[in-house]
Amino acid sequence: MQIQYKPKRNLLQTILHSEIMQGMAFTLKQLFAKPITRQYPQEKPDIKLGFRGQHALVRDQETGTSKCVACMRCVTVCPSRCIHIRFHEDEERGCRVVDSYDIEALRCVYCGFCEEVCPVNALVLTEIFEYAAYDRESIFFDQERLLANWDAFAEMKGSAINSYINPFWRPRGIPERELTAAKRLDVPDEWTIEGQVVGNLVKRDQ
Amino acid sequence: MHVLILFIEILILFAIIMLHVAYATYFERKIIGHMQVRMGPMRVGWHGLLQPIADGIKSFFKEDVVPEQADVVTFRAAPIICLTAMLTSLAVLPFAKGWVLADINIGLLFIFAMSSLSSYGVILAGWASNSKYTFLGGLRSMAQVISYEVAMGLSLVGVMMLSGTLNLTKIVEAQGGSFGGMYIFPQIIAFFVFFIAMLAETNRVPFDLPEAETELVSGYATEYSGMRYAIFFMAEYIGMMVMSSIGTICFLGGWNGPFEVTIFPPFWFVVKVYAFMFVFIWIRATLPRYRYDQLMSIGWKVLIPLALGNIVLTGFIKAFTG
Amino acid sequence: MFTYLFFLYCAVMIVGTGLLAITMRNPVHAVLMVLVLFFHMAGLYLILGAEFLAAVQIIVYAGAILVLYLFVLFLVSLRDEVKMDRFVTSAWLGRIISVGLAVSLISMLPTFVLGQKGHWPMAAVIKATHTKALGMEMYTSYILPFEIAGLILLIAVIGGLVLAKHDTPTTIEKS
Repeated sequence: MQIQYKPKRNLLQTILHSEIMQGMAFTLKQLFAKPITRQYPQEKPDIKLGFRGQHALVRDQETGTSKCVACMRCVTVCPSRCIHIRFHEDEERGCRVVDSYDIEALRCVYCGFCEEVCPVNALVLTEIFEYAAYDRESIFFDQERLLANWDAFAEMKGSAINSYINPFWRPRGIPERELTAAKRLDVPDEWTIEGQVVGNLVKRDQ
Repeated sequence: MHVLILFIEILILFAIIMLHVAYATYFERKIIGHMQVRMGPMRVGWHGLLQPIADGIKSFFKEDVVPEQADVVTFRAAPIICLTAMLTSLAVLPFAKGWVLADINIGLLFIFAMSSLSSYGVILAGWASNSKYTFLGGLRSMAQVISYEVAMGLSLVGVMMLSGTLNLTKIVEAQGGSFGGMYIFPQIIAFFVFFIAMLAETNRVPFDLPEAETELVSGYATEYSGMRYAIFFMAEYIGMMVMSSIGTICFLGGWNGPFEVTIFPPFWFVVKVYAFMFVFIWIRATLPRYRYDQLMSIGWKVLIPLALGNIVLTGFIKAFTG
Repeated sequence: MFTYLFFLYCAVMIVGTGLLAITMRNPVHAVLMVLVLFFHMAGLYLILGAEFLAAVQIIVYAGAILVLYLFVLFLVSLRDEVKMDRFVTSAWLGRIISVGLAVSLISMLPTFVLGQKGHWPMAAVIKATHTKALGMEMYTSYILPFEIAGLILLIAVIGGLVLAKHDTPTTIEKS
């Protein structure tokens, strides 16, 4: 098999350097194109739905603390094993109580599996992305810091936080009846574009 | 008194050229940025206009590192040789009628001499740094300059034959005042050869093998830092400007233009030099680097025969038409 | 006065750099000294009003030939590859020969007298520019010697090519 790297040229094209001229014309055209770069600190990027940024634990409006029920699903699913939960059983109420909830954000790969599997939508990857720090301790999130992250995010969102729904809280491709109660969220219309949030299985059910 | 006036003129020219060098780097970054759909420098001043000044201050105050095993005297002298040779060749360039520091009869040869000297700076920098990358860069530069100096000299012989002089002012005058009288039309082959040799002489893309970043870190300038590194760049940009000026004077009719600008006689000269500089930058944004053997074969097998043929052709035409 | 001082400066520099060029240990430094020497030779030509020669001196000698010398110096490992036997075995014999050579050269100096003026007195050269005068003489009166010199150079170039070109091994061609 012969791979031809350059097309055949006739004599006139060789003399006039037609290929070089093509290239030059292209760069000249690009000179007047609008630059696609953004002056970052002044101009923030527009964040799309489903952006996976800083970790946070949703602060429950009623109890004032995390919604986490210590089901350990996020710990199990995490591919980089950066979530650590300690809990004990409360015999009287018959439920688990979270002692500590830590995320090593430096090890996180931002896959978003944890927020997808969480049955009560306690965990979220917020839209905050500017949290670089000079030491490792600042990027190790314990429960207090995760709740504080949520507060910071709520402040950023303003009143929109009350109706905030992360796309990962409502996994695509899973029928409504197989989801936990908390995850049966009303999905805004713009999410239900074909194949984006609501998958084929759901369509088949309907 | 005469000497004093000359001295002041030299100072003014030096200041203007240094300003041009600074802003040539700015426009190079800006134009290449926009050609790559970026913005280029935007931070210092409005649209980064003060960037070259910031760069200058930074490189001036940086540490001047001399490698331990380097040949210290040669190492320190090399960038200065480069810059001096380039600055000296500015002396014979006529910017407009009478706007020339030294109107000597061998102006063109003088520029050749100086441009071949400036290659010494590169070669010695490569050798004195005592590092493999710089040495390879120096060797490449040496071979490249020897090869392309020949092609460039031969390409300008046609111009010398037509004008009958080596004096740059007289070359411009010989082309006549009309806009169509430029030597680019009768000497189109020579211009083609000159243009390519000009790119190679100034070590610009696509012939920037002496400082090929992808292979040789930064070529001959690898071991340099701070102001000495900046001096190499100044020399490179002054070299670009001198070569653009030579092209303007010998092929584009110097300061002659479609109409005369009385307030600023060098107007057309400056416009043409800027156009040349833009093409330099434009080519850098477009073309990839040549391979070394390709560079050599273009120089010896294409450009030199073309230039020689052009000389013979010009001689015949001049002999038969008178 | 200025010309005289300039001549003195050039002469001193030529002698000084010439001496340095043969005494310096580092061959690259020696070549650099020769470069400085060539510059001052060009300066001497300028004093004589031979601007074309001065420019050619720098372009050809400084710009091309010395660069080639440097090229060779860079590529040859001086410590290992250049080992030559002494041409004259006894040091004293060498000294005597060199002193004798110098004495005989200096003794020739008084016999040097200025030649005839010819067709080109200084004023005429300046009027026609040096380049033109040189070209006129070379391509009219001295065309035959010029062509002979060209032929000799051509032979040297061909000789260089023959020496440099190795025979291509025939075994590689058809195997």
